[in-house]
Amino acid sequence: MVVSFVDRCWRAPGQWRSLSILLAITMLSSAAASARTAEDLAAGLARFALASGSPEQSLTYSRNLDGYPGAWLKAQALMALGQTDRASILLQRQIESEHQRGAAALLLARIALDEDEEAVAQQRFQIAAGAGYGEVRQQALYELAELERRAGHRDRAGRILSGMEAGYWTALGYMNLAADYSQQDLNPARALVALRVALAMSEHDTVSDRNRNLRSQLLMRAGYLSYRNEEYEKAIGFLEQVPLDSYHTPRALYFHGLALTARDNHRGAMQSWHRAKKYPLAYPGVQDAWLGMGRGYDLSGYLGQAGEAYLAASASYESERVTLRNLASQIRQQGAWQTLVKDTRDSEVQWFLADSRTLTQPRLAYLLGFLEDPAAQDLMGKVSDLASVEASLEEKANNLEVFRAALKDRLETPANPVNGRAEAFLARLESLRDRLEGLKDKSGRPAQLETLNRSAKTLQDVEASLALLGGSLANRDARLELLLRKTEAVLTRIRGLRSRAASIRRRAEGRLDGMALAFVSRHDDQLVHALDKTEQQIAHLYEYLALETLERGGQ
Amino acid sequence: MFTAGQVTDSAPGRGRLELIGIFLVVVGYILIFSDDAMSDELDAEISRLQADVASLAGEVFALEEGILHPADSQVTVFLTLARRDALTLDSVELYVDDTPVASHLYTDREFGALQQGGVQQLYTGNLPLGDHVLKTVLTARAADDRYVRRESTHRFRKPPGQFRIQMSLDARSPDYQPEVSFREWK
Repeated sequence: MVVSFVDRCWRAPGQWRSLSILLAITMLSSAAASARTAEDLAAGLARFALASGSPEQSLTYSRNLDGYPGAWLKAQALMALGQTDRASILLQRQIESEHQRGAAALLLARIALDEDEEAVAQQRFQIAAGAGYGEVRQQALYELAELERRAGHRDRAGRILSGMEAGYWTALGYMNLAADYSQQDLNPARALVALRVALAMSEHDTVSDRNRNLRSQLLMRAGYLSYRNEEYEKAIGFLEQVPLDSYHTPRALYFHGLALTARDNHRGAMQSWHRAKKYPLAYPGVQDAWLGMGRGYDLSGYLGQAGEAYLAASASYESERVTLRNLASQIRQQGAWQTLVKDTRDSEVQWFLADSRTLTQPRLAYLLGFLEDPAAQDLMGKVSDLASVEASLEEKANNLEVFRAALKDRLETPANPVNGRAEAFLARLESLRDRLEGLKDKSGRPAQLETLNRSAKTLQDVEASLALLGGSLANRDARLELLLRKTEAVLTRIRGLRSRAASIRRRAEGRLDGMALAFVSRHDDQLVHALDKTEQQIAHLYEYLALETLERGGQ
Repeated sequence: MFTAGQVTDSAPGRGRLELIGIFLVVVGYILIFSDDAMSDELDAEISRLQADVASLAGEVFALEEGILHPADSQVTVFLTLARRDALTLDSVELYVDDTPVASHLYTDREFGALQQGGVQQLYTGNLPLGDHVLKTVLTARAADDRYVRRESTHRFRKPPGQFRIQMSLDARSPDYQPEVSFREWK
């Protein structure tokens, strides 16, 4: 429309032409500015929706946006919704543009890695490392180092890590390198050096939660390797730094006890194991700590208490086997998702106790242990996504049911004819306008005049609305019927999608249940093994005591 | 105990064992690969479902907006940051004509999005024509690390048609006191 106006201006007679062109240029720039404002608003809304965890809404806002940042926001929303095929096309375009090249390359590389295309992934990580900055660059370099490490080129991985900035990703890289060295070398010196570097690097990470978790893990590993290298003081030093509220604490306490035993400090060792015993048996290290208590009493010369400690360990293992049997039967009846996740979430822990009690809940302990397996994490993520899709569809359906009822209700209520009432309104408007004019004549202050002018403007708006009301009422039923038809159609689609989501979730849950039952069975096997060891220790102890008694009798 | 005959005379038996072995290996492979194929199929189905749900969400959003907020009486309030590093926003409460209509506690990610030019649709509702008062109460940490609570009011006249108000937060040196400016779009 604006273009045709410009065209007409160009053809205007001589004296008007320049004025017309000026007017047209003003109109064009105003239209362009308005379009830009609408695009900026949509992009801003899409950005905030993405950050607040609503990728669907973000996609709705950014659907008509092209270029930067619209396409980039759309790609991120599609990635969050698992639409990697559609996101890949946009990300590929982003790599070829000027903005967010590094971040786009990183996302594309991750997609390639998921599809087992390591060569493509490596190429894209290299682009991300070259074009990205900050966290994006560090992540890309870490992934490149990981690719080299997994291919057995540890020196190359080390070279990449040495060129990185200190922080979380570098620390993670060195931790993985240390794990490789500890598997390969007989002497843990190289692994310990890598862990020390990782610890130093992790000090520069500013994200407190992940940093705390990583440091606990690094300290626990360093403590274990030092213990294996018979450097007990060093091991104790590392392990004592592991915070008490970490997933790795029980295992760290167990190794701490072992290191103290090696220094003949059995009392200190038993204190550590006694603390480890407070955690559920599901955590690594707790089973051994129960056995350690008996061994500690034995080495300290308290044979009676050693026997009691072994019996207590045996009873606790038996009781845990019952817990595992119950857990397995619940998984069979209700499924792993309900048993391990929903019931754990719905536990009646008061919010003010939650922090101190969460680590001591056996169900949560098993969940954490189960989720150490990446395949379990992946499957659990899928079930969780499908459950949230179902919940969101149900919520939408409920809202639309309410709207449908309201629309039907309004359609059944006949619209009152506006004629007689409009005249009454107009008469009231006229009288108000007269009063306003009268007040305007009397008022002298500018503030009063401004207030009266605002009221006059509102009266004008009301009059304009009244003029349109008749037309709106005539179209009311047609508009309501259109909305009702749309609502019905959307409700039908929601029903179809809900049944599809439920069917896919049942299949995913079936596989998750199998995996969870195998996990529970493995734990049960471990407990059986621990029970065997305990019984052997008790047998040795009784044998020794019997021989002692015989010897004393002989004397 | 095996006899020599059993060990040496087992050519047909060995053949059967080999066949059983091959059969087991083949079945194992089929099981492994069919498991992978099932996993890929499940991934593809989840992806298709999510695409359909995302498309539906857009339609439902538009439909709800159409039913709940007729354009003629609609008022929308947006929130933006005028300056990236001026303050760290903690929470915002919004009142229209002394009635609380919206409140929000910000996560680090949401605040980060606002810093990068994000726009939050803080409130959408319907108001009659005429004069109204919008009041906002915000709590934030200013650049000089002081926690502040600031109340701001804005009087506006609701005209016919869609009406939008942009609230913009700012804090200028040297005192870094938070300021809220309002801009009306028609």
